[in-house]
Amino acid sequence: MSFQKQLSSGEFVVLAEMNTPKGVDISEMVTNARKIKERVDGAIIPDMDNGVMRMSALAGGVLMRQQGIEPIIHVYGRDRNRMAIQGDLLAAHVLGIQNLLVVHGEEMSYGDHVDAKPVDDLDELGIIRAIQSLQEGVDMAGFDLKGSPNFTVGCMIKPFADDTALDQELEKAQGKISAGAQFVIFPPVFDLERLSAFVQKAKSLGVPIISTVFLLKTVGIARYMATYEPGVFISEDLIKRLRRAPDREMEGVILAGETIKALRELCQGVRIVTLGWEHRLPAILDYAGL
Amino acid sequence: MITAERKPLDEIIDYIKPFSRILLVGCNECVTVCAAGGRKEVGLLSSALQMAFMKEGKVLDVKELTLERQCDPEYVEELVPLIDQVDAVVSMACGCGVQEVAKRFKEKPVFPAVNTKFMGASERQGVWAERCQGCGDCVLGMTGGICPVARCSKRLLNGPCGGSSNGKCEINPEVDCAWQLIWDRLKSLGIEKTYEEIVPAKDWRTSRDGGPRKIIREDLA
Repeated sequence: MSFQKQLSSGEFVVLAEMNTPKGVDISEMVTNARKIKERVDGAIIPDMDNGVMRMSALAGGVLMRQQGIEPIIHVYGRDRNRMAIQGDLLAAHVLGIQNLLVVHGEEMSYGDHVDAKPVDDLDELGIIRAIQSLQEGVDMAGFDLKGSPNFTVGCMIKPFADDTALDQELEKAQGKISAGAQFVIFPPVFDLERLSAFVQKAKSLGVPIISTVFLLKTVGIARYMATYEPGVFISEDLIKRLRRAPDREMEGVILAGETIKALRELCQGVRIVTLGWEHRLPAILDYAGL
Repeated sequence: MITAERKPLDEIIDYIKPFSRILLVGCNECVTVCAAGGRKEVGLLSSALQMAFMKEGKVLDVKELTLERQCDPEYVEELVPLIDQVDAVVSMACGCGVQEVAKRFKEKPVFPAVNTKFMGASERQGVWAERCQGCGDCVLGMTGGICPVARCSKRLLNGPCGGSSNGKCEINPEVDCAWQLIWDRLKSLGIEKTYEEIVPAKDWRTSRDGGPRKIIREDLA
């Protein structure tokens, strides 16, 4: 069943984030994809995630299709103007990519090409509206298309540290949903009680909510996120659990698996983010019972 | 100078429709030189607005004042005695001036009466042209004093492109090809060799692309 059909039928979807290589050696990406084929419902392909230049998501999406995994590719406005975005969207449809995730590009200064000129012609809402227009057979300049594309479009909820910030995010998401977004992806929240309350609140959006499970690779990363990203709600107990584990790396994997299991009751899907540790996805899925 | 053009009268009227008392503020700097928002233009706009209101059977009270500089908080203070006598402020300064006034008088709506255009120079009476984009890393030393960032339509640093024809740019026969100007200038200076140097990809961090910019002079601050 396609990702779109699973979403509309209310089934729980499991999505794995798969990063494209920085270069043309696709062997690792393809090998990792083959290992999770049949075990996930789709692969999310980030595009120049964190401002790091990599092979584009369009090519990554096509590669996933070739491996039999349904891709969901990132679309964002930092590096492309409305011409390039629309052209790539038409290309994506023709190449069999049916799902898009409209995201906010990281600031150029945080990436690895700090001297590059950002484009920022369209913001997330502008991109979603452009997608809708293309689907209606008209480009942003009002010209008719010869054949129009069709996509399932999602948007992101940015990290939030409290209810007020969540309210603001939900308001923004509501605008994107009104413009055409059909699902939302929540940021990682490690405190499941809090997450449950947040998700309950977000149900007012009226679209499927997919939560993010973030693989904690090291105690250092956990501590960093706990300190600088209060919205993830990583507790001291959780850090202690990782620190005391005989195999800390495996403990992170187990934790991710457990979280996925728990999320089944809370939301309509999960996005597993491993940030380059896609080789750990099979083990995470094992512990999730998938 | 920063150049500007007055907005269409209807747009300004739309802004101030709900009000009956406005303060119309000009600036004695750039917008005076480019005849967009100096004392004379303040007078003209004031009359035009009052006439437009009268045609609608309404009365508009306009207080006029032209500051030495609207982008300087020191001069913006001169508006203090008038601000309580008006419902809104209409600024004829560039975007910098409008924002200074809005920052100083948080409780008053402030509207722009001009569209700020570019940093440019006067070519002849009544004609101004873009000369600088404030990229923050001046290349004029390499390009014979002619800026390709501001004056080449494609901002090429290794121009010209194929659209240069008889010294003009393909976008408009009225627009000089910046790279033709650069070549002619380098030649007349006898430094054509400079043209052969390949300019690497520009670092745009110093431009607006690195986010809103600020200069802090420790010796003055």
